[in-house]
Amino acid sequence: MSVLPLAILTPFTFIILTLFIKNVRTRNFLSVTLAIINLGIAIYILSAVNSSEMLKTQMGSWPAPYGITLVADRFSAFMLLMSAVVFLAVTIYSVQSIDYERLKNNYFLFTYGILMGVNGSFLAGDIFNLYVWFEVMLMGSFILISFGGERAQLEGAIKYLILNLISSLFFVAGIGILYGKMGSLNMADLAYKFSLTGDFPSLFEPSLILLLVGFAIKGALFPFFFWLPASYHTPPPAVSALFAGLLTKVGIYSLIRIYTLFLHYYDYFWNPIILWMGILSMVIGVITATAQFDFRKILSFHIISQVGYVIIGLAFFTVSGLAAAIFFLGHNMISKTNTFLVAGWVHRETGTLNLKNLGDMFNRNTLWGVLFFISAFSLAGLPPLSGFAGKYLIIKAGIENNQILVAMVALFVGLFTLFSMVKIWIEVFWKNTPKQEFSEKELPKAKYLPFGYMITGSIFLALAIIVMGVWAEPIAGFCEKAATDLLNNQKYINFVLQ
Amino acid sequence: MELILAIFIGLLYACGVYLVLRRSIVKVILGIFVLSNATNLIIFLAGGIKRSGAAFIAEGAEKIDPATISDPLPQALILTAIVISLGIASYILALKYKYFEVTGTHDLDQLSKTDQK
Repeated sequence: MSVLPLAILTPFTFIILTLFIKNVRTRNFLSVTLAIINLGIAIYILSAVNSSEMLKTQMGSWPAPYGITLVADRFSAFMLLMSAVVFLAVTIYSVQSIDYERLKNNYFLFTYGILMGVNGSFLAGDIFNLYVWFEVMLMGSFILISFGGERAQLEGAIKYLILNLISSLFFVAGIGILYGKMGSLNMADLAYKFSLTGDFPSLFEPSLILLLVGFAIKGALFPFFFWLPASYHTPPPAVSALFAGLLTKVGIYSLIRIYTLFLHYYDYFWNPIILWMGILSMVIGVITATAQFDFRKILSFHIISQVGYVIIGLAFFTVSGLAAAIFFLGHNMISKTNTFLVAGWVHRETGTLNLKNLGDMFNRNTLWGVLFFISAFSLAGLPPLSGFAGKYLIIKAGIENNQILVAMVALFVGLFTLFSMVKIWIEVFWKNTPKQEFSEKELPKAKYLPFGYMITGSIFLALAIIVMGVWAEPIAGFCEKAATDLLNNQKYINFVLQ
Repeated sequence: MELILAIFIGLLYACGVYLVLRRSIVKVILGIFVLSNATNLIIFLAGGIKRSGAAFIAEGAEKIDPATISDPLPQALILTAIVISLGIASYILALKYKYFEVTGTHDLDQLSKTDQK
């Protein structure tokens, strides 16, 4: 009995279970239980993968190219663990942060749906299955983004929904054409067939371009990122945090997986495209962020810019570059989520997230200020936090690959990131509250819960950031092994198909 | 047959893209439906279309000549895609209804409350 299906079945069981429970408190308890169980499963998979290289399960015992395969290699296991950490923190945070109305309407059920889709995407060994898990995840996110039905939310939901549906259409059209050409859907089998074709046949270009565009929209890369800043700041802060931590990262995960399995057979064509997409995402995301005055909107633009770092790591296409990309992806999930969590606290305290109306939050609660400091300056890349190690690895990989210019751009983008974070820090936490005091909104009080769930979730993530920064050496070593496995895709193919 | 189907898919895509670019939300939603159907047809076309039997092995027989059956997998894929798009269609229509209730408009240009002034 393999452990892999449990990562999908456990959230599914909890979806069913939570339907039968009417009491909000019990439901909250269940959701935290699920998050802890999920973290346990992720840690177990990680340790199993660390000792035995890879894990697989053939569903229904059909052998590999015919049945549906679940595979976990080091990269998947790492992503599972990071998403489990993010999910646990956001769940604990949501118990207090989400208002009673939404909790009563079964808010957590949809977060389980997202978790199921995310776990499924990380484990899928079959490209059509990957599409189905994407849809599961998107369905949950569609509902969460419009959950509550406020006007801003509905507007954000329409933009988010339409652009994501179009990306799904690109994705599924690519799969269809690929199947027509290759006669297989299993990713390892596809990669094996690609390796047989030798030089890249132009026949496959349309389907691969369609797949690339699909993932680029999901991952919010340069020419396709417009849906993200238009929608991420509209739902309740806990939902934004969950989205920022999980959704775009799944798109990037799939891009890396597809890239290392088939796209690289023609890498003199793809590498420059990917590299430029990365550079432009990085630069445009960070420059656009400087013009914003909404807390969450600044952070949304930074998601785009940070994804660019991961993509340039991928475009170097060496062990050091990919290892840096994986490390950075993990770092970005926790740091970005935590900044959104702090934004949620600010919103709860003051009822606004407009930087011009905020001020003096540091004196209201020093601990939250420190939490923002840790996560924001981790994003900006200050030692000893995780962002420093991530950026250091990316820039080192760039210099090793003679991409000095790219490394310089990455450094300058880091400077702009620091500028944005300092701007938030000064505007929200340091400056005096502006004179024309806005009327303090009636705050949603947590009537039924003791104080402290929000801050517990945030502290948990801050600890994760510090751990990832201080113990960067072993984690980067693990990422390097993961990158070696990814680059040596024969190993993956043999393991799945044997 | 392939050529006719290919031209038809192209037409569907053209209609879908035209509808998606309209200002009215209802038309955009219709455009999404048209596009998703065109995509289903692409899977069908790319999987190879031919006049042949269902993929069943006759009773008592051990195997069947692959040339006499059509590939069932693209059809299974389309079925899955149709089911998914049905779920999304019902959700998107409900969202549209709610949006109209809250704002009283069909116009996409009114979707600017979330933009920065």
